[in-house]
Amino acid sequence: MHLGASVASSASSLCRTHHLACRFQDPDRSWIYRHSELIPGKRRGKVVPLRANFWESIKSGFGKNDNTTQVVEPPTSIEEEETLPLEIVLLERTRPDGTFEQIIFSSAGDVDVYDVQALCDKDNWIFQVGWPRRPLGKIAASLKNSYLVATLHSICRPSGSEVNDKKQLIGMARATSDHAFNATIWDVLVDPSYQGQGLGKALVEQLIRTLLKRDIGNISLFADNKVVDFYQNLGFEADPEGIKGMFWYPRY
Amino acid sequence: MAIACAAVYSACFASAAFPLARSLNRSLKAGRPPLPISISANPSHVDPLQLRDLLAAANYSCHRFPALSPDGRVEPTDLGKLHLALSHSSIVVSVFCRSKFLAEDDCGICRADVFPFSLENLLGSAVPASKNDLQMVGFGRAVSDGGLTASIHDVVVNPPLQRRGIGRKIVAQITRILTSRGIYDISALCSENERLFFNACGFGKDFLGSTTMMYTRTASGCLNNNEVIQPAGRMLLLVPPGQEQYMTTVNIAQPETL
Repeated sequence: MHLGASVASSASSLCRTHHLACRFQDPDRSWIYRHSELIPGKRRGKVVPLRANFWESIKSGFGKNDNTTQVVEPPTSIEEEETLPLEIVLLERTRPDGTFEQIIFSSAGDVDVYDVQALCDKDNWIFQVGWPRRPLGKIAASLKNSYLVATLHSICRPSGSEVNDKKQLIGMARATSDHAFNATIWDVLVDPSYQGQGLGKALVEQLIRTLLKRDIGNISLFADNKVVDFYQNLGFEADPEGIKGMFWYPRY
Repeated sequence: MAIACAAVYSACFASAAFPLARSLNRSLKAGRPPLPISISANPSHVDPLQLRDLLAAANYSCHRFPALSPDGRVEPTDLGKLHLALSHSSIVVSVFCRSKFLAEDDCGICRADVFPFSLENLLGSAVPASKNDLQMVGFGRAVSDGGLTASIHDVVVNPPLQRRGIGRKIVAQITRILTSRGIYDISALCSENERLFFNACGFGKDFLGSTTMMYTRTASGCLNNNEVIQPAGRMLLLVPPGQEQYMTTVNIAQPETL
């Protein structure tokens, strides 16, 4: 089950970035980062439009001048570009065999659920709290409905190439949110052969940066003991002011 | 998991079948008459203004680290953000009570000796309550990704009506809806005060032993040139640097052989 067309070459992905940047004139920002929106011609994901209009109609009755709810003017384009790192080349290098490799960070949420499952199946990735094998349908639904899905892809171009680039998913992180106050980061994954290079750090930092820039202040996550230090280095604190996460236990 | 579902459903059928008996029991214990409340999972029943007032009455802030005034009050909740949060919460549960019951209740008039089936009460419940008559006394919401996980936020009950089981009903309703959608990984961030409440609702420590962490990095001292802060309640959170910084500081690693 593909969530989006996979991009074969970096050139076309850059074109797509530009195209998508133009679409973000929508005054209601809550639309913008739905990755279902970013795939032209396909309607997917929650049917938010009816609700958004419902709230617009109620909002029009309120006198409060709040720039997050104004329907009239779209955000300035400069501000938009700053807060939308849709695709960024994190690093470029040439391997000894002459292959040219780029690592691309993307928050477009364009990810194939089979790639995600393959990524999870690899040994020794350490960033995630126990991930049992879950049904593909559930993974797909959760990716579709996550507020932010950030991915790392490696694009390899063999030297002297007229051949198509090879694009591979090597990292992913996602966050669920209510778009206003709370966000929880789930499932930070990095391919074992790419770990130790600061890529996981970049992934999480970009997530935090995006969330904060959208004024979402409660960023939480549930970390496995092995990775508590990793997140501490990134600015997370365990049980801050006694705040703990509790989980529902089914009653038999 | 199927057993868990069955247990939850049978529990809710039982309470639906014998509401009067359970509420009478509770009133005998508490010495107060049961409060006739209605609970709704329909998001359109929530008036954001009423919700904001409820949050203010309970001195509750949606920010985890709220800014407090000298007398301990939190800032009023931003209405625009409340709209956003409501429209993007998978489940929104609200509890209402008719104003007249609240008025009598607050006065402390003992109604235990009033026969519950008095003519006045029967007529009162026969006439549907108008919207203006209903007051929101409780609220709770959950955010979910529709497949794997969900987190519960902002469970609030009007302080005069706390400790009467309303909050527990809200959480039970939320978890019931989530489990009916096949989501069993339900979390709730709790402060020290809220922990006992969620314990009573059937929540406990993560059986996988995970550590709850929140982003709390603030700027220390003066800001450097390219440091940006984002206020969240009383926290001035440091925004991590943009990618240009990453590009310059990382050393191009030795190529890996895949």
